[in-house]
Amino acid sequence: MNENKKPLIEINNLVKRFGSFIALNGVSLDVYPGEVHALLGDNGAGKSTLIKVLAGVHPKTSGVISIEGKEVDFSTPRQATDVGIGTVYQDLALNALTSVTRNFFLGREIKKGPGPFGVMQMKEMNEITISEMAKIGINISNPEQPVGTMSGGQRQTLAIARAIYFGAKILILDEPTSALGQKQQMEVLKTIKRVQRLGHIAIILITHNEIHARLIADRYTFLSLGEVIGKGMAEELGGDDIKKLMAGGAEIGDLRDELGA
Amino acid sequence: MNSESQSQRQESDRLEKKNWFIAIFARPEIGPLGVMILLFGLLGYFSIPEGEFSLNPFAGEGFNALGIRNNFRVIAQLGIVALGAGLLIIAGEFDLSVGSMIGFAGGCMAMILKWGFAIVIPYISFQGGFHFEGLKIFEITDVSPLTAILITLCMTLSFGWFQGWVIVKSGIASFIVTLGGLFFLRGLTEVCYRAFNRAPDQTAGSTTVTDLPDIKNIINVPGHGEMERDAAKALPNEDLLEILSNVPAQTVAKLTEQLSYINEKVAANKTAIQAKKMVETLEKSLAGAKESGNESMVEILTKKIEAGVEVPAVAAKAVTDLDIAKAYIDTIYTARPVANFFGGDILEPVFDWLYFTADWNVNMFGNQFAKGMYSCLMIWLILALVCYFVLSRTQAGNWIYSTGGNLNAAKANGVPTNKVKISLFMFTAFCATMFAACQVFEVNTADTAKGNLKELEAIAAAVIGGVVLTGGFGSILGIILGTIIFGIAKEAFFYIPGIDGSFYRVFLGAVLVSAALTNENIRKRIMGSI
Repeated sequence: MNENKKPLIEINNLVKRFGSFIALNGVSLDVYPGEVHALLGDNGAGKSTLIKVLAGVHPKTSGVISIEGKEVDFSTPRQATDVGIGTVYQDLALNALTSVTRNFFLGREIKKGPGPFGVMQMKEMNEITISEMAKIGINISNPEQPVGTMSGGQRQTLAIARAIYFGAKILILDEPTSALGQKQQMEVLKTIKRVQRLGHIAIILITHNEIHARLIADRYTFLSLGEVIGKGMAEELGGDDIKKLMAGGAEIGDLRDELGA
Repeated sequence: MNSESQSQRQESDRLEKKNWFIAIFARPEIGPLGVMILLFGLLGYFSIPEGEFSLNPFAGEGFNALGIRNNFRVIAQLGIVALGAGLLIIAGEFDLSVGSMIGFAGGCMAMILKWGFAIVIPYISFQGGFHFEGLKIFEITDVSPLTAILITLCMTLSFGWFQGWVIVKSGIASFIVTLGGLFFLRGLTEVCYRAFNRAPDQTAGSTTVTDLPDIKNIINVPGHGEMERDAAKALPNEDLLEILSNVPAQTVAKLTEQLSYINEKVAANKTAIQAKKMVETLEKSLAGAKESGNESMVEILTKKIEAGVEVPAVAAKAVTDLDIAKAYIDTIYTARPVANFFGGDILEPVFDWLYFTADWNVNMFGNQFAKGMYSCLMIWLILALVCYFVLSRTQAGNWIYSTGGNLNAAKANGVPTNKVKISLFMFTAFCATMFAACQVFEVNTADTAKGNLKELEAIAAAVIGGVVLTGGFGSILGIILGTIIFGIAKEAFFYIPGIDGSFYRVFLGAVLVSAALTNENIRKRIMGSI
């Protein structure tokens, strides 16, 4: 079925240099709608740089990024959002001290009136927040409650729902399960699964956790030292392959033998 | 599946249970409200004269008409700058230059009103030796209050903008940049006063402007043109009578009625005071007689006191035409509404009603006690209403909260955080200018020490009102309550007999720290870490 689909985002030979340091050295990546594409790699592999380039935080040095076949170029986060790339960072970009609704619409409030002094339409915004959160599986009883009172998983869901509502076709999730408890992690994975089932959204999942990747990923790309060292569909890769590639291609089996001895 | 859905229900139940608790105790106003009620009680109780028992706090000096007028002047003036400071703290920054800005703005306004305004471009001249000369490209000499305020606003808002710009561009702490502003502006103000205050108009080297006309009381007297109210009342008698001859009979009748009411009231109070004095004299003699053991004298005096003292009633002064003319001049509306807006009085009809009808706004001589509230109260309330609306209802409000609550989150969501901060630095400058305008037009003087320490008082009021110093949390209602607490505390300790008035600082210090602790606790509760 996936073979008939066209990739939503194609990344071809992407290079990013910071001065003389080559952070990304010709990375290529295709992500399809309705798929979870796991981006794995050890610390310093270039995962963060890649998503920052995609999110418009850093401009690329060279290479081509195309969305639905059209080449795009952006240098600010706003431009990336406008072409449909929604990034959910680890810190979620939430203000814990204000309400769920105020966070959901932060920077994009529905308002009537001139400029920033327009009056926020709280009722409408509350309704949208509740329905959008419910779409990916969380029922919030009170959209006026401060985000600080929500669990980590609920916050993650809020950030994802917000990105989707504001037109993200490509959802980049940066380590969404790290820093969460076991139960919360499963909640987040379920949320991602629901987004996947919506069918029209391509998800790039950055993670350290191979078990989580195996639970939901359809496709894998492994990065090491700024280069792709392996890629494949979930069904093609075995557990040991994944472990090995995640460790940057080192023979982790040897290490395990040593540790076991 | 079953166990899963059960555990989810428990999670939401837990949130539900916390809700009522949060609703009450997670409001930033809860602490200040309690302290304020306590203070009102204290001020009311302690201002009641010794020996009289009353549970009515309005019986004492603290809340008589004049007390209310004066207390709310202190509160409103501080309130104006506390609003700016509070909003800025909610957005995560400080402004320590507010106090100096008040002095600077007041100085600007007073000097512009006195000498006018000119733009001079300095250049170096070599003719007759190397020296600087100025090229005057623009000059106005007779400046209206509105123009003076607008020119001053141009300067203060630019300075506010500049401070904000330096802070957001450089990333230097606002504490240090605005501390620089504090010294810079105070020094600049002093230098300007000395530079412009030249004899013979003003003592050279003086750092004050004291001889401004009473602008808010300039009125258009029929047949005489514009003049100050006091000057109009001091006109020759024939002029006054001529003015009166053109006043409609209805107005004259009403003024006559009011004046005779006042005269009767004054006479009655004089009678009462004389009677009281008489009783006091009798009581003194009685005490003397008791001491010396003069039994018969004690008996006579006791009888006399018991019988009650009769003093001849003081006759009420007759109302003359001159009185009516002067009273009429008092009712002429100002010819300088802008100056009156900032420095005049409001609610005069209410205070008149309180005197003529409610018989409450009366001083010990029988005259009207307070003529109204200071106008700065109205300006404070207007600003507070606007701030409340912006902070709680508009997009800008959400931006202010998020800029202080989580700067990176706000940036990531496209909030123009730099613009938010710079605008708020300009707003604190605006508030300082409003404060200065209120002072200058009220007292018609300005000096370089004006507004000293107001920046810290404003921050303290905001913090007492529940604003968290690290930003992101607070409310306008809280800031208002905090300001009232600060102002009332400042006044209340003055009325406690036998206690040094400076104890108010001790009290405020303690309240400030406990408020900060409470705020932090509430913030943590909301963040979910308690």
